[in-house]
Amino acid sequence: MTTDDIPAIACNKVCKSFGSTEVLKDITLDIPAGQVSCLIGPSGSGKSTLLRCMAFLEEATSGTILIKGQPLGFSEQDSGFRARQPASQIRAVRANIGMVFQQFNLWPHMTALGNVSAALRVVRGLPKREAEARAMAQLEKVGLADRADHYPSQLSGGQQQRVAIARALAQEPRIMLFDEPTSALDPELTGEVLNVMRQLAAEGMTMVVVTHEIGFAGSVANRINFLDHGRLLFSGSPEEVFRKPRHPRLEQFLDTYLDRGASMLV
Amino acid sequence: MSWKLFSLLLQASGMTILVSAFAIVAGLIIAIALSALRLSGNRLALGFVAVFVSFFRGVPLLVQLLLLFNLLPALGISLSSLSTALIGLTLCTAAYQTENLRGGFAAVPPGLIESADMLGFTPVQSFLRIKVPIALRLTFPTLISEAILILKASSLVSVVGVIELTKMASNLAASTFMPVELYAAAGLIYLAINQVVTLIGRFAEGRLPGTGVPAR
Amino acid sequence: MKFDIGVILASGHEILSGLALTVLIWIAGSALGLGLGFIVATLRRYGGPLVNLGLAIPVEILRGTPFLVQIFLLYFGGPFIGLSLDPIPAGLLGLTVYGAAYYSEIFRAGYQSVPEGHVEAADCLGFGRIQTIRHVLLPEMALIVLPPAVNMTVILLKETALLSLITVPELTLTVQAIGSQKYAFLESLFVLALVYWALVEIAGQLGRLAEGYFSRYRTART
Repeated sequence: MTTDDIPAIACNKVCKSFGSTEVLKDITLDIPAGQVSCLIGPSGSGKSTLLRCMAFLEEATSGTILIKGQPLGFSEQDSGFRARQPASQIRAVRANIGMVFQQFNLWPHMTALGNVSAALRVVRGLPKREAEARAMAQLEKVGLADRADHYPSQLSGGQQQRVAIARALAQEPRIMLFDEPTSALDPELTGEVLNVMRQLAAEGMTMVVVTHEIGFAGSVANRINFLDHGRLLFSGSPEEVFRKPRHPRLEQFLDTYLDRGASMLV
Repeated sequence: MSWKLFSLLLQASGMTILVSAFAIVAGLIIAIALSALRLSGNRLALGFVAVFVSFFRGVPLLVQLLLLFNLLPALGISLSSLSTALIGLTLCTAAYQTENLRGGFAAVPPGLIESADMLGFTPVQSFLRIKVPIALRLTFPTLISEAILILKASSLVSVVGVIELTKMASNLAASTFMPVELYAAAGLIYLAINQVVTLIGRFAEGRLPGTGVPAR
Repeated sequence: MKFDIGVILASGHEILSGLALTVLIWIAGSALGLGLGFIVATLRRYGGPLVNLGLAIPVEILRGTPFLVQIFLLYFGGPFIGLSLDPIPAGLLGLTVYGAAYYSEIFRAGYQSVPEGHVEAADCLGFGRIQTIRHVLLPEMALIVLPPAVNMTVILLKETALLSLITVPELTLTVQAIGSQKYAFLESLFVLALVYWALVEIAGQLGRLAEGYFSRYRTART
């Protein structure tokens, strides 16, 4: 397939500053289609900011981001001038991307079914019945069909995050971005969310996952990207990361996570 | 006081309820529109909303109503006293409700809008479908207190000739020479209506679906 | 349509006398209302359940009925029950009692905001009740009470306009009278609105200054 030849996401020399603080420094990174890529690194390393740039929730200060070959957010003109795209074009490119947030970000005034079907009705204009049927199918997929009429405040954190995943999947994205999807969960609830993500990976979804779950990264990811102080320091397969750590910063970072499930991989 | 007089007061209180209900609902719609202007970030819109809110909250309602009653005819607009009173009361409560909604809109977590952005909502769609319902839930208790304030403030439309509860009490007091009984009875009816509004508010607040922000 | 503000401003002297009465009644009414409200709240806290209930009823009645109906009852109904008052005392009394009801609720919330433990600590140290109020409760609740009290005081300023309807010669009545003498209703009402707008803005700014002053004092200590 030709679409597999171009990367799902291509970041080229992406820089991001908040005021005088440089958060991302010259990141060049390809996210291959049909694979799971993890972004790991200590807090403040810029991994979440990079993910948010891939969704254009943050605007890169310079550099380009291509989604399936299409520029996102800014169009480079022949003169080299970087023009902000009109909102409709940003929405069109973003339609390829589903996003799952650390804080779930479910809408509190809608049921689980309402959350999952809202965009189908509002954005796609599907009739209520059809939107709800599709939403129900997604809820079944994450194992929450029996919670369809519950409000977010009536669901556990793990259930809320699974609804959030179903909500993103209902728009049929080709790429799923996960921003620390289990960081806000109690440890006993992370498993149910990670299982849904494993299932999604097995189906061949292109996934970019910012995570502290080194165990998950080691067992599911095809590629692991290590960021530190806004730079991409290492990019490779899990074997390369865990068997013979090359970079001293990566080694140091992994050491602090040995207790958290990475030990079995080393 | 005879039952006949009291029933006249009760009938007139229908107008009080009608005028107040109209003002609250129409004022809420205007307040949402003004909030949208304020959130647009446009400087001109921001200035307009600030002056609107400051004026209608800074001038006594009585003066606003008298001004409107003299201004509209001078501009060649002839409306009934009821219509003019409705406009006056609506503009005033719109200003207060805009101010009440400000905190509600500010308290909508930005992540809820980001998730709508990612799903392809336009700014207008996410304003109407996400921000407004959440802001309304967060500020629901202030909406109920505003309804009670407007019920009481609606007594002022008596001054411009709308025959509602206070005007009826005044008219009857003048013709029967029983001001104590009539004004006391009118006061009791206001009190009763306010109690009902408070009870409805409490009942509704407990039943608003998914009140609050999701448990973290 | 002719529109000449000058006609109204030519009567500046009369406007000022109306303004003076508005400000006087407002300040006197607010101060008396604040004091009465504090007494009511304190009696409700320490007077036992019967006093509490006996005061709760009038407070709820005053808060649940329009100010206009209250002053009509007082001014037009008063003479029928042996309470004949001139417009100005009637207006002042009405404003004071009305304000007191709201201020008392503000003080009640203030009392409730002080942790029981602080009062118990004062008891253990041998403070009398009045000493506890003076040295513990009032300073602790000042920050809680100030913003709503400022807000209420500004509301009372706007409510003084209603006193024109019981013929108190304050700002609204004065300016309207000038307007009708000179056949310039619209101009008079514009001037009236602008003067109130300015007064309310100034009062609000003063209130915010006071809040800022007290909150600085508080944060500096902690």
